[in-house]
Amino acid sequence: MDLSFLVQLLRFGAPVGLASLGESVGQKSGLINIGLEGQMLAGAYAGVLASLATGSPYIGLLAGVGASLGLGLLQGLFVIRLALDQVVVGTSVNLVALGATSTLFRAQFGSSGQLLSVPALPRFGPGLDLVVLAVVPLVALVAWVMARTKFGLVLRACGEYPSAAEAAGFSAQRVRWLAAVIGGLFAGLAGAYLSIGVAGSFAESMTAGRGFVAIAMVTFGRWRPWGVFAASVLVGGLEALQFEFQARGVGLPHQALIALPYVVALVVLVVVGKGGGAPAALGQPYERAR
Amino acid sequence: MRTMKTVALAGAALAFLAWGCEPSAPEARVAQGDLQRSFRVALLTPGPVSDAGWNAMAFRGLQAIQKDLGATVNNQETSETKIRDAMRSYAQEGYDLVFGHGFEYNEPAVEVAKDFPKTVFVSSSGGKTAPNAGAFRFALEEGFYVAGYVSGMMTKTGKVAMIGGPDVPSIRSTFKAFRAGAERAKPGVQVIETFTGKDADVAAAKQATLAAIGQGADFVVHQANAAAQGVFDACKEKGVAAFGANLDQNDNASGVVLGSAVINAEPAFLGLAKSVKEGTYQGGIEVYGMKQGAIDFVWNPNLASKVPAMVQEMVERLKGDITSGKLSVPMDQF
Repeated sequence: MDLSFLVQLLRFGAPVGLASLGESVGQKSGLINIGLEGQMLAGAYAGVLASLATGSPYIGLLAGVGASLGLGLLQGLFVIRLALDQVVVGTSVNLVALGATSTLFRAQFGSSGQLLSVPALPRFGPGLDLVVLAVVPLVALVAWVMARTKFGLVLRACGEYPSAAEAAGFSAQRVRWLAAVIGGLFAGLAGAYLSIGVAGSFAESMTAGRGFVAIAMVTFGRWRPWGVFAASVLVGGLEALQFEFQARGVGLPHQALIALPYVVALVVLVVVGKGGGAPAALGQPYERAR
Repeated sequence: MRTMKTVALAGAALAFLAWGCEPSAPEARVAQGDLQRSFRVALLTPGPVSDAGWNAMAFRGLQAIQKDLGATVNNQETSETKIRDAMRSYAQEGYDLVFGHGFEYNEPAVEVAKDFPKTVFVSSSGGKTAPNAGAFRFALEEGFYVAGYVSGMMTKTGKVAMIGGPDVPSIRSTFKAFRAGAERAKPGVQVIETFTGKDADVAAAKQATLAAIGQGADFVVHQANAAAQGVFDACKEKGVAAFGANLDQNDNASGVVLGSAVINAEPAFLGLAKSVKEGTYQGGIEVYGMKQGAIDFVWNPNLASKVPAMVQEMVERLKGDITSGKLSVPMDQF
């Protein structure tokens, strides 16, 4: 296993890693973002469009982040401001993102589609690029903010017992808005990096469930930034490994190999999964008493 | 306040759904009202018609029927339990021909056909027939056999690879043919076979291809439809050659596609629609292969200089043998 293989592993795992990092912040504040898959897809498509239009993959990344953030704010309006069911709203966001990106893709590139090839993100050294380099510092930053800053403390309070945060003089809704923005930024970066940095193309529903995997990684990683990162690396690594197994022709059916990362994740959860650690107010809307 | 929110959410959800579920051929629906008795054709596909591959090819066939025969057309992405409902709905609306683009549409077609004798139901592949139901099968295996043969002739590492999306019988059968072609050219060649299990996962297709190339493959064929760009980009990154599939993908931006195994579907679709329109359709199973001009292997003219003249000559001879029936390519029945 050489260095460039490790970098490649990190590159293919980065979309899930980044998305789950953002999701962990949201969940710590009490928001469960089921619309993550849709936000990533919107980011992936906007990123491809912008990088094709401008020729710059960096502008593409920014556009992807913008699109996902827009969708995240829309979602925030429903789940934070209007305090509606987070699962229902998130599911709607997934549907609208899938419908919108597919409709726009066909309007733009023809009903029978095209194999798009977008300008590649510049790479240096053993296949590194700006996003891959940013992953570990971002995990460290999130871990530090969550554990060591006042904002992190208040955010965690809003996920455990929002009334207490309110009693201490903070607005639980405002904190959750910030968490939703952070989640949107990460989801957009994850989606745009998936299309621009990893795949170099776009296809309808190309996120292929990565948003849902990212949500699972938050549980798997016990809501801790480094834990979430480790979980993503483990599952991403196993995914890469199963393709190696298939290419080497080990005598196992590929259906079993494709399922391997998730089976391992499940087993790990069952063995070490005592204690939980889910924020107490996760998924519960907070409304001030009137 | 509570009810207002519920109403707001319901409204928003409806708007989302209306946008998300819009049928993919709105231009076809416009014409329906005033063309009560026009010839009507519907297409059911297992995946989005925007996949630049298997489904896109059928959609182009449908567009040809609309253009050349003046038919009213509609299409839907539908699979599994929804197939029968979709077929019945189209038949009830008076469609003359309902086409299901896959072997999985064959059984429902024959079953539904009994209740709607005025409508013809046809599937791509499948073995069952009725007076107003049947199948036609594109023998893409013949194109894959030739591609496999080329890879066997030209590989330097003695290893070639096949990257598939989901593992379905039609893809498996083309892979068998590719393998047989490669082994004919170079006995003992190692053929790597990888499935991603997903249809539109471009990143997974790329990762699978990189892994295969890492094992030494220097020629890669794919059955990845919308995810094919991932295969081609991986080949470009590592400097190996690829083959296109279903449609002519020789002009792909990656510049690595040496040749494509193509289905030329329009004549088959048009011929079928014509026979239905004229009332001469009889049911049965028809095979469309190289002999019928429906399958071909086309070289990328820009890369022709990289292919030894001897290989090109052998390929022409092979295609001739397949067309004349002297050589029959292995093909699964499903």
